Amino acid sequence: MAKPNPSLYSVQKTFFWFAVTSVLLTASLAGIVYIDAKRDWKDYQKAFFKLKAEKATAELKQAASAVDKKELEKLRAEHSAARKTLESNSKSILDLNAKLTAAELEITKTKVVFQDLKQFEDSYRYYYEEYTAHHDPRAASYAAKLAEIKPRVQEAKIKLEKAEKGRDTVQAGLDALLRQEKEAQKKVDQLLDETTRIERKIEAVKPSFAKDLLNAPMLDFIAPTLEIQQVVLENLHDDYHFAKAQKVDRCTTCHMGIDQKGFEDAPQPFRTHPNLDLYLGSMSAHPIEKIGCTTCHGGNGHSVSFIDTAHTPRDEKQKAEWEKKYGWRDLEKWEAKMLPLQYTQAACAKCHTGTVEVPQADKLNLGRNLAVDLGCLNCHKVEGFEGLWKVGPDLTAVASKTDETWVSKWLQDPTRFRPSTKMPRIFHLENQAGADNAKLEDAAIVATAKYLHHHSAHPEVLRAPQGDAAMGEKLIKDLGCLGCHSAAGVTAGTHGPELSSLGSKVNADWLFTWLKDPKRHSATTRMPSLRLSDSEAADITAYLMSQRNEAFDSAAAPKADPKAVDDLILLNLQSKMRHEEAVAQLSKMAPDEKLLYLGERTIAHQGCYSCHDIRGFEQAKSIATELSDEGRKNLHQFDFGYVHDIPHTRQDWIRKKLEDPRVFDHGKVKGYYERLRMPHFGLSEVESEAITTFVLSLTQEEIALEAQDLLTTDEQRIERGRRLIQKLNCQGCHSFDGKDAILRSITEDPGAAPPVLHGQGSKVQEAWLHDFLQHPTTIRPWLKYRMPTFGLTDTETQDIVRYFALLDGRQTSYRGEVLQEVSPDRLAAGKELFEKLQCAKCHQITASSQAMGASFLAPDLTLTKHRLRSDWVIDWIKDPQAMQEGTMMPGFFPDMQSPLPDILGGDAQAQIEAIRDYLYRYDPAAAAESTAS
Amino acid sequence: MTMIKDAVNAFCSPVIIFTASMVCFYLFVRFPRQATSMAVSLPLLGLALAGFAFGLTDDHFRKIITTPDNVPIVGMLFIFLYFTWYAVRKGVINDQRMERGESTIEQTETNEKVLVFPYLIFIEFVMALAYAIVLVVWSIFLKAPLEEPANPTISPNPSKAPWYFLGLQELLVYFDPWIAGVLLPTFIIIGLCAIPYIDRDTDGSGYFSFKKRRAVISTYLFGFWILWVLLIVIGTFMRGPNWNFFGPFEKWDIHKTVPLLNINLSEIIFIKWLGIGLPKLWIVRELPGILLTLGYFMVPPAILAKTKLKSAYQKLGPVRYAVLMMLLLVMVSVPIKMYLRWAFNLKYIVAIPEFFFNI
Repeated sequence: MAKPNPSLYSVQKTFFWFAVTSVLLTASLAGIVYIDAKRDWKDYQKAFFKLKAEKATAELKQAASAVDKKELEKLRAEHSAARKTLESNSKSILDLNAKLTAAELEITKTKVVFQDLKQFEDSYRYYYEEYTAHHDPRAASYAAKLAEIKPRVQEAKIKLEKAEKGRDTVQAGLDALLRQEKEAQKKVDQLLDETTRIERKIEAVKPSFAKDLLNAPMLDFIAPTLEIQQVVLENLHDDYHFAKAQKVDRCTTCHMGIDQKGFEDAPQPFRTHPNLDLYLGSMSAHPIEKIGCTTCHGGNGHSVSFIDTAHTPRDEKQKAEWEKKYGWRDLEKWEAKMLPLQYTQAACAKCHTGTVEVPQADKLNLGRNLAVDLGCLNCHKVEGFEGLWKVGPDLTAVASKTDETWVSKWLQDPTRFRPSTKMPRIFHLENQAGADNAKLEDAAIVATAKYLHHHSAHPEVLRAPQGDAAMGEKLIKDLGCLGCHSAAGVTAGTHGPELSSLGSKVNADWLFTWLKDPKRHSATTRMPSLRLSDSEAADITAYLMSQRNEAFDSAAAPKADPKAVDDLILLNLQSKMRHEEAVAQLSKMAPDEKLLYLGERTIAHQGCYSCHDIRGFEQAKSIATELSDEGRKNLHQFDFGYVHDIPHTRQDWIRKKLEDPRVFDHGKVKGYYERLRMPHFGLSEVESEAITTFVLSLTQEEIALEAQDLLTTDEQRIERGRRLIQKLNCQGCHSFDGKDAILRSITEDPGAAPPVLHGQGSKVQEAWLHDFLQHPTTIRPWLKYRMPTFGLTDTETQDIVRYFALLDGRQTSYRGEVLQEVSPDRLAAGKELFEKLQCAKCHQITASSQAMGASFLAPDLTLTKHRLRSDWVIDWIKDPQAMQEGTMMPGFFPDMQSPLPDILGGDAQAQIEAIRDYLYRYDPAAAAESTAS
Repeated sequence: MTMIKDAVNAFCSPVIIFTASMVCFYLFVRFPRQATSMAVSLPLLGLALAGFAFGLTDDHFRKIITTPDNVPIVGMLFIFLYFTWYAVRKGVINDQRMERGESTIEQTETNEKVLVFPYLIFIEFVMALAYAIVLVVWSIFLKAPLEEPANPTISPNPSKAPWYFLGLQELLVYFDPWIAGVLLPTFIIIGLCAIPYIDRDTDGSGYFSFKKRRAVISTYLFGFWILWVLLIVIGTFMRGPNWNFFGPFEKWDIHKTVPLLNINLSEIIFIKWLGIGLPKLWIVRELPGILLTLGYFMVPPAILAKTKLKSAYQKLGPVRYAVLMMLLLVMVSVPIKMYLRWAFNLKYIVAIPEFFFNI
């Protein structure tokens, strides 16, 4: 074999490259180990342990200073004295210890013997039983073996017990010698208990070489002190479309202090959760081991790196900060990003479904209520929010209320007439800017007004008599209009429209008719009747008609440019027929016909009928996008158009859309009817953030039933009542169910405000409440506020009655009070008490018995037997303050001590019952007779 | 800067880049000696690297190039270029030696045989270590290109095949799926299998040579470089959302809209030229296309057998000649169809939707 040509095959060269590659490969493998071992979360855990150690050291200092030094010194001295005594006895201790060892040895020996024999015995027994059962002849031999071994086992046992006794005796001797020293030591330990505990805590978190070794790369599989922390959530899943994976949250790997008190001021990621009472704690409503973190906050719970967990900054400032600090970037390929902090409440609705409000989620609740109030949910279908009332006024008889000019001026810009209106601006918005578009918009406005009036019904209108405006203003304040409306210079309820500038809008006859009975004009209106007399209605009419908006009156009404009208009609017709046919059709239309056609098309295009009842649109479908799953809608489906000044996230799109609904048309070339249509609500920042939270909360994510906060049937009934209460705005006048009434806040004398209804379900009888809701009567004659007639159906009334009962944990029966037989003596006692306690001084018995300020007045007691529950009456008389804080009703029986010991033997309970019985049998007619005689 | 980028984007329209590549390819096989000389190839390499470096200053270009699953394609491009250059250069050197009457390099090396073990195995072992280093370093710096969890309701846009199939996916733009997805790949496999049976020429075997095998090498390299690698590059780097064409410095805008109005040959003939409207019967309607296709596969081989390729015909015999011509014509039909699309917006030459047959 020839020697290879060194230029082609050089062994030396190959060796050289072998050496180089070997070194490089080793280096690259070291690189792998380094990359694998270098994790951010380890640094965070180290930092946290350091922080914890620092905190504990401070605690230790405090604990050490709290230890009584003198006491400690004394105890230590005692201890060393005890030790000394012990040392002097060292010989006998050594002796005893040797004995103890010997005794232990004896025990071991005897134990082995006993255990061996016992096993044989057990085995013999088994075979004996087995063979006997199967009639095997071998049974006899095992019977003999068993008989032979039994006494030996017994003997071994006795030996063992003896050996144990011997050991115990020696031990007792030893203990007696050591006792004193041990007790002294225990006392010292007890005194230092707290400091020792903290020292141990420090030891656990303090860095040390051993810990470093355990955490070293390649060794950290044994027992590292730095470990990934996780909770596996049994009932919650991450939906990966093709597979559902059990939710695993590793957030606590870095957020180590999140569920521990004491880190409230620690830097992130170690800070304590701001609401530990509600979240994370095992006793809280949302324990971490059941709910986890990402269930509410979103993000990727499996990951332990800042970026891959899909943290979302709350604003641009935080984004910049994170980019600098953590190299944050948007996790493009991950849909389930964390909710920015200000929108976290959106996640509550995942599990808390079916309730009008979610407890403690004020932002979400505000958003939801706004979405209901502003009519968002009239246009946008959302599962679970169907069947809501239309928020706008009924327009089927608009012609009897106002005229076309007002409607067209109003449509141009509703806020010009009334800045506080809930009606959004629909026309003349930014995507319809420019002179040409303005003409088209005006044409559409005029046509809409024309359509509405042309198709309006003309119900009979009463003639309004002359009224007194000053009296009217007073009535508005007195009767309770302000529970729903702001009017007469008072900013109060926002449930109904602000009652301003009505003189520029409606005619007096219509207003008078409306006030007398709103249902006459509109069957669907939420406005109740206050049962006004003709003169009251006339006075209020006179006052409201005197309010005018001069600027609005003098503004020019929009004109319909004939060419603009033609253009719009043509656009409409062309969508249905060919151009020439459309032109021919247009030329056949009379001018009025044109406007009516365009009006019809405009209403259909803008979807006005979603919030208003409009004739001809009874069956029309809403025009807006369904939002049932908007909180999870894919980002690609949001059209950001040419808007680049906001981050491309779901929440930023929604918020921008709310604040500036037409902005995504910016820079686009679109036809008149292709442009975005969502109207401008003029929302404040707080409002748009709240509504964004609400929209983000709309998801159809499947949550296992076990994980949801499911409502019981009773809770569902309560929620049905709440929805109705919200619709009728009962809480505008009455405080109950956690809400304070508006009227109460603007009434100076609390006694003159409408009654508080806390505990109403325990207080009144169902049948009475039912009747009262349908036909209110006067209970507190001194009140000027008037309970309105809502015209409730039987079902609605039952819903409300049941709602009040269930709020107090009662079921409804409508059974009424069943009176027990009562002895005449007791009735007489009741009467005597009633008179002596001077109940009639405040409570009205006869019409003439009142002579005090409103706050001291009390309801008519003749109503009691039909109105109140007897058990409530008892509780009430016992301790009125407990039932209704601040009530003027005196407590006559403090600590169940009667002020009148000579009646019924001074038994308070019997006395209270006697008063109750008297009240339930009180007959005003008979009483009047007796007074007369 | 913007101007350069715009110019590059404009240059990278499918028709220009495809034509320019073909021209470069022609120059390469026509002047292999000059093309593989250091004086030409080093400046060209420098230019390519400079262009690449310039491209990396562009955010969009950098994003596309450094996407972990696109990195191998960039690497592949340079590796393929190198090996093509290396092989042709070796051939050219041998050609020169032979012209001077010297023996080939391979021949001179034949005298110095050594044992596989340890010499070759050792070198291979060292290379295996080197590859291991590359893979380890790669895995450290480029993480697995994981995307979001698959969602049945959302298709990725653009939806791309694995990178090695992107050439075939690119063909879907120009051909009916059954041709682009079934017929052409089958022809590629059959054609590659058939090469040793068609080309039985022993002349020039055993050593690198370009001159002796110019036609064969050029044909192969055309198929490989233009119809496979180039199409992969276009499919990977220049096809964006909605399979729209994007220049290297153009942002992949999902809303980009370009007109695409393609018409069939039958429509060109019966409506545009004859003005009589499409015949009802498909066989009449598609007759011109069918005749054209048949003519394409029948006429040139017949004429060439008598003229330019007479010697080849005689050498191969009718069967092997027919197979060769069939394969060659199918190969050439790819660029022809592409040019017809670019020039005339031609959709299909034969379009029979009645039974899903389109050419």
